[in-house]
Formats: sequence, structure tokens, C-alpha cells
Amino acid sequence: MQQYDAIIVGAGAAGGIVAGVLAEAGWHVLLLERGPSLRFEDVPRDDIRSQRLSLYGHNAGPEIEGNPRVVVEPNGNERVVRPHEGGYHNNAACVGGGTRVYGAQAWRFMPQDFQMASLYGVPEGSSLADWPITYEDLKPYYERAERELGVAGQNDTLWGETAPDAAYPMPPVVPGPQTQALKRGAQQLGWRTFAAPLLINTVPYGGRAACIACKWCVGYACPTDAKNGTHNTLIPLALATGHCQMVTGAMTERIETDARGKVCGVSYFVEENGSARHESARAKVVIVSSGAIESARLLLNSHSAQHPHGLGNESDQVGRHLQGHYYPGASGLTEENVYNGVGPGVTCATNQFNHGNSGIIGGGMLCDDFIKPPIDFWYTSLPPDLPRWGAANKQYMRENYTRLLHVKGPVQEIPSPHGRVTIDPQVRDKWGIPVVRLSGTTHQATVATSEFMRHRAEEWLRASGCYKVWSQPRGIGLSGGQHQAGTCRMGHDPQTSVTDQCGRVHAHDNLFVIDGSLHVTNGGFNPVLTIMALAFRSAEHIAKNFN
Amino acid sequence: MPVQLTNLQQATLQAVVNRLIPVDEYPNAWDAGVGEYLARHFEGDLKHLVEAYANGLDALEQEAKARYGNGFGELTAPQQDAFLQDVEQGAVVTVWPIAPGKFFRLLVEHTMQGYYGAPLNGGNRDAVSWQMTGFESRR
Ligand SMILES: Cc1cc2nc3c(=O)[nH]c(=O)nc-3n(C[C@H](O)[C@H](O)[C@H](O)COP(=O)(O)OP(=O)(O)OC[C@H]3O[C@@H](n4cnc5c(N)ncnc54)[C@H](O)[C@@H]3O)c2cc1C
Repeated sequence: MQQYDAIIVGAGAAGGIVAGVLAEAGWHVLLLERGPSLRFEDVPRDDIRSQRLSLYGHNAGPEIEGNPRVVVEPNGNERVVRPHEGGYHNNAACVGGGTRVYGAQAWRFMPQDFQMASLYGVPEGSSLADWPITYEDLKPYYERAERELGVAGQNDTLWGETAPDAAYPMPPVVPGPQTQALKRGAQQLGWRTFAAPLLINTVPYGGRAACIACKWCVGYACPTDAKNGTHNTLIPLALATGHCQMVTGAMTERIETDARGKVCGVSYFVEENGSARHESARAKVVIVSSGAIESARLLLNSHSAQHPHGLGNESDQVGRHLQGHYYPGASGLTEENVYNGVGPGVTCATNQFNHGNSGIIGGGMLCDDFIKPPIDFWYTSLPPDLPRWGAANKQYMRENYTRLLHVKGPVQEIPSPHGRVTIDPQVRDKWGIPVVRLSGTTHQATVATSEFMRHRAEEWLRASGCYKVWSQPRGIGLSGGQHQAGTCRMGHDPQTSVTDQCGRVHAHDNLFVIDGSLHVTNGGFNPVLTIMALAFRSAEHIAKNFN
Repeated sequence: MPVQLTNLQQATLQAVVNRLIPVDEYPNAWDAGVGEYLARHFEGDLKHLVEAYANGLDALEQEAKARYGNGFGELTAPQQDAFLQDVEQGAVVTVWPIAPGKFFRLLVEHTMQGYYGAPLNGGNRDAVSWQMTGFESRR
């Protein structure tokens, strides 16, 4: 059997970074990824089968047949769902994980985001908690992620405030007509705005070309390779060392433990000529980086005589506190043209309401949206009182595609221990591996924060000159999806967390979880830069301290 | 299960989608390729709905005959629009094998997908709706 220093399960945002750091440090690494390596041509610009609008399928995996999950609705009804369907809470499955097709908003969490329980208290029934680390602990790794992958942002600016030591390696995206309108509105309200930071090359960087401002950014692959994920940065770096072997199409089934219960390797399936081949590999260290939902599944499926409830699950914490982001926003119509067709489209953000909102726990960032293909616009951007068809509908599409302002943002979720991933007792995937069962909801307080931010979005649009503004409230439900996090939270206390502050699973010395699963809370920001920073930090810790 | 629509069902379909997106300076649904979009999807991701379409279009014809004494295609445009509004609301006088509002919602969504979606799926001929909306610069 092959012996490695480390096996990493999942070549996504976090797994790709861990592979890069360990391979650079001379470790022999096996990087297992269930999905394929996707070239630009492999990710069609099919606007109804994309990771953005997934009516009949999607473009970055997993395959829609053979990979089901079971969803338990709040009313107790159960459904088996496919990856592109509502309720599945998919992100992506390919080399780069979500970063292959993401929107690339590159936000640092704020210092307050790491201390939510201390700041706000713990609402009854919630599992709101502080992180075991602070912003200061993560700061150097935010900077490293910004530098090594490449972030474009407004220099000397963090969260809309002057921060002389915030030096982004690339200048921000250029403003468009929507930016001018939103800036005017914000000025009137006394809100600070600034250019949203993006993991996109606004100028050539890292040996890759600059963004050509096409309209197919979020949910698609970049034609000039100017969108920076792990697939075009840390993973190629890892492979170039010669120490890292990546196997694609490798679905990890279990983490293997020896007779004493010590983690010793993994077993996985690869497809060969239409049938499944079972493989095993051994390593000193196993790192689970499969994304928040699948990482929990893998730990739970790896039960053994010594670990009857799954690995790391002695305190029944694995899979709990699943969170993502409620994403409130509003749309509004202007008299002027606010569209110039210059992608990606996200240009103007405010952090005015991330914290300090009276009666509200947390808050969130707001900014304008990525350019939407017209069919996406039809689904998301019609006023509620507009007929869905006929001459009036056509006229609306024709006149208002270029006159619509849209602002939205992720809000700080209040986690609940009942929003969780377990293993379904019956349903299996095409490999025969028991699948994820999703149940519970977020905590009710999330809805209040979301409603508060929805009204701020409306307020911003009105001040920006919109003569008609509308938005949709969202009720209680489970959260996860592309921003999934929290299922193996880190902490000091093994009773209430799954890993220590470096991602090492309590009661194991050589098993780590490193990905969105670690997030104790998910900030009022898109999560990936924090996932990346944590990955750099934990990988550096492993490289330094493990022998 | 019929794998194809009859000629009459096709004709009704064409007449209906052309009210969902009527002609102005820009083409109606059918001329912009919605028929081609649907034909492709009836062989693929909408295969399971071909029967519902056949039943729904028959019911729509029968409903028009019961109310106006004429097939849908022979009604005036304002009559067609008023009639479709009723179907959308489920305000029908005949017995439908499929809920009229639900069928109508399918028709609307699929028509919009064919008109506004990417040309690679068979609709949106010459990306005409992308120019109409301004998503792509107007030629
Ligand atoms: C369309 C889209 C837009 C987004 N936009 C943004 C944005 O603008 N800003 C932002 O911050 N975030 C964004 N995100 C979210 C971001 O991509 C995720 O937060 C991030 O990728 C999560 O990182 P991760 O390492 O936890 O998991 P992932 O990146 O999901 O990586 C997990 C990897 O593990 C693999 N895997 C899972 N199970 C197994 C197994 N058993 N065996 C082998 N491999 C396995 C998966 O295939 C996957 O590649 C977006 C995501 C999408 C899809």
C-alpha cells in the first residue's frame, strides 16, 4: 500500500492550500478529489445549468445522478434530492472546489465576528459561541491569502475604514454607472462605501492574465484564468514540487483507523472503465477538507469499534451548527442607465451595518451584484406586481434590464445545534456510501438580522434614486449551500467543539479538519477568504509541529 | 406516453407562447426559437413533461371551444390574453386533466428559458433577446 506523509481529502478552497503549503515544505502528499479537473471548455456558459441558476443541472459538479442527499423538512417530510435541486445545499465538486466557479468576493471577517457570544450574549436555543482564535491570530494569514492567490481591492481600506496596513496586491475593479448611483445614495445617508475586494486579477498577476470584464463571472469559469482559485494557484504549485500526487475522480469512503483506533489512512473509490475500483492509502496525517457537509459525512461514516459514533464525534458535535448565509437584498428601478456590461459587476460595498445595530445580533455587508444573464434576471428581478408574461413583461425586460439596481449581502447567522448533517440510514450514493441527511433550521434570530438588512438594502436603493423598490422576506429554514460552514467547529472544549484551534480533531493526534467546517460563526461576509486564511494557518502549524 | 405533440397541439403551443412573448420591434417567442428550445428539451430534460404538455394543450383547446366556440388560434389577441389570464388563475369551465394554473406556469417558465436563455440551448435566435435587453450591446 502507498505510504504518504499526508492525505488530503478534497481539493477545494482549503484542501488546495493545505496541499500547496505541505508540498512546499517537502511533505509527500496525496490529494484526493472526487470531481474532475475542469478546463475552461468543460464549464459551459449554459445559463440554466450553472452553479448560479441550476434548473436542470449545473456545471461544476457533482454529477446529478448517483449523488443524492436526504432532506428532512421542518414539517417532518422527507425528500431525496439531486445535487442541482433545492434543499441539497450544494457547493461544487471539482479541482478547486467552489473556487473554480465562484464570484471571488474576498472578505476578511471583522474582529467582532470572532467574538459573537461575548459581544451579544447567547440567544436561547442557539449555539452562538466565540472562536478560539481572534482576528489578530488570523490577520497574517489573510494577508498571505491575498498575496498568494491574488486579491484586488482598495488600498488602505478595510471594511470601509482607513487601514494603512491593508495593502492589496492589485488595484480595485473600476467603478461603473451603478457605482456612481449607489455612492450618491450612500453619501446622502451618510454611509461609507468602497470597492469590494475580489480574488480577480485586475492587472496581470501571478503569471496569469488580467480580467477581460466579460459578463460570465459568478457560476462560470474564467476565459483568461484571471479569477484566482486554488485550481490555478496553490494546487499547480503543489504539483510542481513533485511531492504532491493528485487523484481526481477519487471518492473517499472512509478514514481508516488501526486496531488501537489511531488514524492510519483512507480508503476511496475511483472509476475505471465504468466500474468502481477500491483503493487504500496510508499516511502519518489525514486532513479532511471536503467542504462543511461532506467533511461531516466522512467523519460520521468512518465509525469503527473504537469510535462507534464516527471520528471526532464523542460529544455528538460532528455535523451540528450547520450554517451558511441568509442573503437579503433589494431591487430597484432607476430612470437612468446603470448598466455598462462591464463584468464582474460587483463594485460598491458598505460595511456600515455589520455590527452595532440596535436590537439585532450582528448584521452584514451589502454590495451590488454580479452581472446576471437575462434569464437569471427574469427569475430574480421582476417586481411582484408585474405580470409574468405578455406584452408588459416583455416591455419590462426590454426597458429595465439596464435600469435595475440590486444590492444584497450575507448576514451573520445565529447557529442552531439542530441545523445539522447526519447519515441517512437507508439511502446510498452510486458507490454504496451512506449519504447525508440534512435536518433542522437556523436559529430564529437569523431571520431578524436578515429582515433588518433587507430594509437597509431598500433604504440604500431609495436614496440612490430608485423610484420603485422591492424585496422578498425569507422565513425560517436550514442554511448551508455555497457558503456552508460550521459542522466541525473549533474550540477549546472537546464537549462543545470537534477540533482544536488548528483544526486537529480532539482525541486524535493526526487527524485534522481544515475547511469551512471549522467556522464557529460565519461572519456577515462571504466566507472563502477566511477559509483560505485558516487553511494557511493550520497547514503551517502542521508543517512546523508534526513529525 | 406520446413522445411527440400532434400537429394541432403544436399549433396551439405556438399560438400560446406567442402571447406569452408577443411581437413588437423584437420577435415573438416562436420566431426567436422558443419552439426549437422546447423541441430539444422534450427530448431531454423536459421529456417527463411531454405528456403533461399534450394533455394541457388539449384541455386549453377544449376550454377555448367551450367558451368562445372557437379554437385558441382563432381568437383575437385581446381574447387570447383574457383567456390566458383566466387559465393562469385556474378560472376554467371545463374539466382539466392537469391543474390549469400549474400547466400555465410551466409554459411561462419554459418560454422565458427559450427566449432569454443562452442560444446554445436552441432558443434566443441570434441572441436577439440579449440585444433587446441590452445585456449585449445593441447592434
Ligand atoms: C457559484 C459560487 C459562487 C461563490 N461566490 C463566492 C464569493 O464570491 N465569495 C466567497 O467568499 N465565497 C463564494 N463561494 C463559496 C466558496 O466557493 C466556498 O466558501 C468555498 O469553496 C468552501 O471551501 P471549502 O474548502 O470548505 O470546500 P470546497 O471548496 O467545496 O472544497 C471541497 C472539495 O472536496 C471535494 N470532496 C468532497 N467530498 C469528497 C470525498 N468524499 N472524497 C474526495 N473529495 C471530496 C469536493 O468535490 C470539493 O472539491 C461561491 C461558491 C459558488 C459555487
